[in-house]
Amino acid sequence: SVARTPEPGPVPKDSIRLYSMRFCPYAQRTRLVLHAKGIKFDTINIHLRNKPEWFLEKNPLGMVPTLETPAGEVIYESPITCEYLDEAYPEKKLLPSTPFGKARQRMMLEHFSNVELHFYKIPVRRLKGEDVSGLEAELKVSLTKLDEHLVKKKTKFFDGDTITMIDYMLWPFFERIEMGDLEPFLDNTPELKKWRAHMLEDPAVKATIHSVESHKAFFKGYAVEKPDYDYGL
Amino acid sequence: MSSEKSFAAGSPAPGPVPKDQVRLYSMRFCPFAQRTRLVLHAKGIKFETINIHLKQKPDWFLEKNPDGLVPIIETPAGEVVIESVITSEFLDEVYPEKKLLPATPFGKAQQKMMLEHFSKITPQLFKISSARRKGDDVSGLEAELKEKFTSLNEYLVKRKTKFFGGDTITFIDYMMWPFFERLGMFEVQHCLDHTPELKKWTELMLEDPAVKATMHSTENHKTFFNNFLDGKPDYDYGL
Repeated sequence: SVARTPEPGPVPKDSIRLYSMRFCPYAQRTRLVLHAKGIKFDTINIHLRNKPEWFLEKNPLGMVPTLETPAGEVIYESPITCEYLDEAYPEKKLLPSTPFGKARQRMMLEHFSNVELHFYKIPVRRLKGEDVSGLEAELKVSLTKLDEHLVKKKTKFFDGDTITMIDYMLWPFFERIEMGDLEPFLDNTPELKKWRAHMLEDPAVKATIHSVESHKAFFKGYAVEKPDYDYGL
Repeated sequence: MSSEKSFAAGSPAPGPVPKDQVRLYSMRFCPFAQRTRLVLHAKGIKFETINIHLKQKPDWFLEKNPDGLVPIIETPAGEVVIESVITSEFLDEVYPEKKLLPATPFGKAQQKMMLEHFSKITPQLFKISSARRKGDDVSGLEAELKEKFTSLNEYLVKRKTKFFGGDTITFIDYMMWPFFERLGMFEVQHCLDHTPELKKWTELMLEDPAVKATMHSTENHKTFFNNFLDGKPDYDYGL
């Protein structure tokens, strides 16, 4: 990913393009869906601190993940990209087919969105010596609720015994637990630990995962505003 | 349940939702709940409303949704759906008549992206109100708001359509409307002065039957809002 890279050509007719960043948890959601559904795609990683003009023309907000279709349609915001893919590609549906099933997953995501960034804010602010007790308390409550949900449902995954959309939407943050030294938060959430173990066996997770070392190395730079987007290449 | 009076703590729990309708838990002046009400009216869905006293919430209400927020939709099967956008999408998917969201995946995505852009405007409105109340200078905040209105205006100009999703009202128009209905309440109506297409859109929206069925006058909004900001909301104002 380089700022002055020339604009890529059009998206091939039988494919879809993902603008991404290798360590972005939000972009990982879209990558998980692409892999899980067996969708043909190419990836262009974007240097997020020095965005190419041609990228900002496609998405003025300049965020990843962004999808581009052969017809030139641009879609952004991780949940919007994931729902778009699930609707546009009928094989291996990840969202439930009923309106209430979809609503149920959207509500779960809405609740989780209140603490997503805590997975980053807590370690970053700890490094700066700031008080994170409030954030920690909120994250604990959220993880306890997720654990209780699994206990109550008695299923391997959040919406049944097979992986569905909500599992992929949550996963990237749980992949980064060790990165943020957040392991103690899972001490009293055994079902959530089991869920993590199940997720680690999933082919889409395996295709998109980074090792704890890589996450920690990237985070080191990120935490001091010097992210190395190409770490490991 | 024909009364619109709000249910406070201690009020008896309502019975099950009758088989041929849905129930909306709401508050008469809530802009988020108005989104769901607009969808219910626009699609001609049979529904009953239970208004909730948001400062003294009944236990039975908190059992349905511990977050305790409105709007909530409850079905005869006892399914509970929360959150203004999620309830609106749910209703559009369950009730096939008068589809408000486009049929194509990209059409839906476009409306959701527009809503995401718009969602950055709502906190601005409340910020301007509280800053003005404190006697702070709001010209900077108003300038930012005007820029956002200009973007919306340019969108309408570029598309050459009357509404945000085409030449008929769709989902995105209803999701945005409650906040535009309250521009007078927020005292930022003048921020529309240089955005004629956006102004025209508000005039067209005021002619819509669902808007007419759910709206309040600027006066009523102002009275409710001032009481609300004073910490003494009168959820039953006007009844």
